[in-house]
Parts: sequence; structure tokens; C-alpha cells
Amino acid sequence: MKPAEQEAQKSDARQPNAYKHQPPSLYVVPSFYEWLDEVSTDLGQATVRDVEVSAGFFSRVTQLLNVESRLLDQQAFDRWLELFVDECIYWIPSARPAPDPRTAVTLEFHDRRRLLDRIARLNTGLAYSQFPVSRTSRQWSGLEIWPSHVRKDEWHARYNFMLAESRSGHNRVLGGWNGFVLRETDSGLRLVVKQINLNDADGPQGNNSFFL
Amino acid sequence: MSNLASLDSSVSYESQWDWLVQPDRVHRRVYTDEHIFAREMDNIFAGTWVFLLHESEIPSPNDYRQAWIGTREMIVTRGEDGAIHVFANRCSHRGATLCREHRGSASNFTCPYHGWKFDTRGQLFAVPGKNAYGPVFKSRDMNLARPAQVASYKGFIFATLNPDADPLVKHLGNAARYIDEWIAHQGGADNIVVSGAQRFRLECNWKLVWDNAGDGYHVPFSHQSLLVMTEQRYGGGDMTYFADADRSKMFGFALDNGHSLVDQRPEMHANSAWEQQRPQPGREPFEAHVAAKFGAGAQPVLDTSVGAGMNLNIFPNLALIGNQIQVVQPVKVGVTALHWNATRRRDADSEMNTIRMRTQEDFPIMGEMDDATNFEECQRGLANCPEDEWVDISRHYETGKDIVGDDGVLTGPVTSDLHMRNYYGQWKRLMKAAPTLQCDKSKVKK
Repeated sequence: MKPAEQEAQKSDARQPNAYKHQPPSLYVVPSFYEWLDEVSTDLGQATVRDVEVSAGFFSRVTQLLNVESRLLDQQAFDRWLELFVDECIYWIPSARPAPDPRTAVTLEFHDRRRLLDRIARLNTGLAYSQFPVSRTSRQWSGLEIWPSHVRKDEWHARYNFMLAESRSGHNRVLGGWNGFVLRETDSGLRLVVKQINLNDADGPQGNNSFFL
Repeated sequence: MSNLASLDSSVSYESQWDWLVQPDRVHRRVYTDEHIFAREMDNIFAGTWVFLLHESEIPSPNDYRQAWIGTREMIVTRGEDGAIHVFANRCSHRGATLCREHRGSASNFTCPYHGWKFDTRGQLFAVPGKNAYGPVFKSRDMNLARPAQVASYKGFIFATLNPDADPLVKHLGNAARYIDEWIAHQGGADNIVVSGAQRFRLECNWKLVWDNAGDGYHVPFSHQSLLVMTEQRYGGGDMTYFADADRSKMFGFALDNGHSLVDQRPEMHANSAWEQQRPQPGREPFEAHVAAKFGAGAQPVLDTSVGAGMNLNIFPNLALIGNQIQVVQPVKVGVTALHWNATRRRDADSEMNTIRMRTQEDFPIMGEMDDATNFEECQRGLANCPEDEWVDISRHYETGKDIVGDDGVLTGPVTSDLHMRNYYGQWKRLMKAAPTLQCDKSKVKK
């Protein structure tokens, strides 16, 4: 059991299936935020990392991140979410560098449950901000991968992206960099954190009601 | 004035505003005409009080932030003495902007163009090569331009360029009572800390945002995806009480000087607002934390960590919604910036402030975007179909249900267009007026 889970269960005797809102968000606890803060600092560090990653591993990560991008372009949200571990975070900070999400509002901060909410909302076909849907194509490059200094089965990664969007005759390009935490699991390499750092995170945003 | 007369040659100038804004309908040009927009920037935004920022945004001496009186860009600072100062972001020399970052901390502002230096009160204190200027120059006031009036209501900083505008408290009128109630939900005026913002750029006139701020009619339609999702996944929750809103316990209130309130509290806070809130990340551990810390007193703590249940609109640009301080910033006739300033509480622990952040992210992400799209599509429809001239604001105008309540406040069903009829009354009064607009460049009196 992870420390985060232990902490939640110390003061909460309920069984996971007893919660009204499924799946319960038992992992988003103070120690999780502490860890996330460390991860965020590490991802954004202006440093030269003396790390060698094997060509095989580099190619596995490349493939995973390509699929992650493509499934979003294809609006295959359920399959996209399968790329994440259960206790995952999708995070768009509202400034650069990312402020601590405990003391500053974010543009988006989704645990698994809120990701499921958002997917369900888009799937109703009644989300007018995505009617018609945004067609997107993502380009990314400059991938760097290095081992997490916190957990030995985890890796950190980042790349720069450009996201071209077309909707209702409007064309836009969003840009920035994404930071990731990846974990080796029994079912393969999975995403734990996706942090989207928009170049204009602190500026007024257009209709970003799709997934970035 | 001449451009206004060209709006419709068949009516005289005097009656132009009465024609554009009628008791139960508004002309489309009010949303699409750039000359009307330009006059709004003078008569509405500069001519009456507008909200600039909350003082917690510049907590320490030398802190500054850009803010706007309509399209006029101002700098708001906190001086060495802790006092708030407001002046135009425009060098008194050639006009360059002095402050080119949204916020920060600085003991003075140096113009990047010719190096003139101004202190945090906007006072000029250094001109490079000053010997080249003569006595006439030296007799002129060359400090940064301060708006005619600046005032704070319990930490909410307002300004106006109109020296004849009523004192701020009179302008707020009977809305002040509701501001106090909103502040009480936050645990007091000194307890509020602005904690970042979600900002949006909408391709629509600012009034399409304002129209919606008091609209209890659109919820089951514009937010259908959110309500359907909440029903499917959790069997209902937040805002489902809008489904049959006219039979609910919620009402809309027409307040003084164009202000208004949609009071959701009788439904949202009827039993437990926390119970109704859509689930936030970390909800269950937070419940456990509050139960452990507060025991039998946990419920009120949970309820206070979600929104105040009020949509309180202070015309023309401040909307207190949920626990957020929302600011409407007109940019162009068809472009508006919308700032959702989040708040946390000084007296709360880290767990509560964290859940406040996650709660305040819910609606802008899940609901606001669908509204924003509808505002933008309204703008397109109004712009593209000029022969269909009118925007309807007559809901409950003819039902006799807008009535004066016990407290003397005009009150209507929550889906009434009372909010629009009320603010358009104020809009028309201001647009007909010829306000004095003034700034002051003289030396600040100690």
C-alpha cells in the first residue's frame, strides 16, 4: 500500500465501494501533493541531466507518448485513459512556472474520477463547446527521459508541443511543453502524471474544452 | 455624437437610446456597433465605478498589478506606507506604457523609452538630462494620471474617472448588504486571499457575458451535458434544482444602479451544499480530515468550503460567483476577457484551501465553456443577420411576477429577465448622460 493510501485510510474506515461518488479519490491527499510538487519542480528544472537511456526504452516511451497524442486527436478518450494508472493526474497549471496547486487555482486538475466526468460529459453529445468537435493534430519533439529520484520504478519525461486545432472555421495553434511521470507496471509502461505547460498559461484562454 | 445619429436617421438623437433599449427588447447594434462600444468605455466604464482588484492581490509594499477601467489600462500599487495607489499605465512623456508585466513588485517604474522614473504613487522623480527642459515644462504637472476617484469597499478596490460620481457606498446601494453576506461566507473581509485566476478570451460583446450573469433560465439547456453527466454518474447533484427553476425557492433580485442577485442559497444551501457539490479530487480524504478535526462540527466546515450560492453582479464588471471574484473586461466590441479569480481563506488549513481550489475549478472547466460558446454564437448571429433587429428580454415581463418584496427590493422568478431589464435601465441612464471624465496629474497630497 502506498503512503498516500495509508494516510487516507488512517482516518477513514469506509470500504472503497461504500462511497457515493465512484471511483473515490482516496489518493489525492497531502503527501500526494507534496510528491507532485517535487515532480513539478524536477520536470521544470533548467539543468543538464547526465543520464543515458537505452535505445530500447527510449523507443518504448516514444511509442507510448505517440499513442497518447494520437488517441486524443482521434477523440478515443476511453482508450486514452487506459494509458494511465488508476491513481493519475492530468494537470494544466494557470501560470509559468507551475504554481503549487494547493494554493493556486489551475486551469485544469483532474484525478481519475474527474477525467471520467469530463469524458462522460463530452460523450453526451450535448457539450456545446465541442459541438462540432475540435479537430486536432499534435506535433511534439525534443523528448528527454530520466529516472525519478523519488521512486525507482518511475521515469520523468518532457517534450515541446504544438497543437493545431480546427473548429467551426477557426484555426488555432497552442504551444508549450508537457511533463510526464511514467511507471513500469505489470501491464506495461503507464502514465501517472501529465502536466501541460501552455506558453500563455497565465493569459486569457480560448475554447480549450477538448483534452490538451 | 454624429456617429450615433447615423444609427437610424428616422429617429431623433434624444430618443435614440430609448429606441435602442426598450423595456422588453434591446437592439442588436448595442452588441455589435463599435461606436456604441466606444461610448460605453467612456459613459459606462469610466463614467461610473468599476472594480479593479481585490487588495489581497497586492499584499505587500511595492506590489503592483495592471487593472482596467474598460479599455483604459491602469497600474494599481501598494505604496511604502501600505496605501493603495491607482494611475494610468502611460508615461507622462511620450505615452509609452511603463508596466509591461501583469503583476510583480517594484519600488519604482522606469520608462523603458527615455528613462523617466516614477515612484509607487506615480510621482515623477527623475528625468535624465533635466537641464534641457525650461520653466514652462517645469510648471506643468507631469506625474502619472490618477483617476478622479478611488475607493475600497472592504478590500474590493474600485475607481472612476468621473469626479461627480456618487460615493462608492451609495453606488453599491442595497447590493452592499449582499456583498457583506458573500464576505461572511468567506469568514470576513480580512480572510479573503485571491489565489490565481482562470482567464478566458471570448469572441463576444461584454454584455453577452453580463446578460448571462443573472440568467437562471439557461441552466438546463446550455449546461445540459453537465446535468446529464451528473445524473448518469452520481444520480444528480449541483444545479439540478434549475430543472424546474420557476417552482424552486430561488429568486432574482433587481438591486440599485443596475446591480442584481440570483440567490441559489434556498436550494443549494437548503440541506448541505457540500452534499450537492460534484465530487472534487481529494473529496473523501478531505471529508475524513474534517471529521477527525471538527467531529460533530464537521458539516458547517464542509459547507463553507463550497460556493456561497450567490450570483451577485455589481454593474458593470464585478460578479461574485461561487467563491470566485469574477471580472468582466471589455477588449473590443466583439471581444471580452473574463477573469475568474479564485479565493482561499486566511484562517483555513491547507486541506481546506486545497479543496477550495479543486471546487472552484469545477464549473469553469465543466460548465463555463458551453456558455462561452453560446455567447460567441449569439455574437455571430447578431452580427450576421442585421435585418432581424431585436434581442428579447421580456421573460416574465408580462406575467406580473416581478414584485416588490418585503424589503422593498424588486424580486422576480429566477428565470425572469429582470436582471437584464434592470441593468439596461442603468445602462441607458449612463449612455444618455454626458459625464465629466477627469484624471489628476498634480502632486499627491500627503
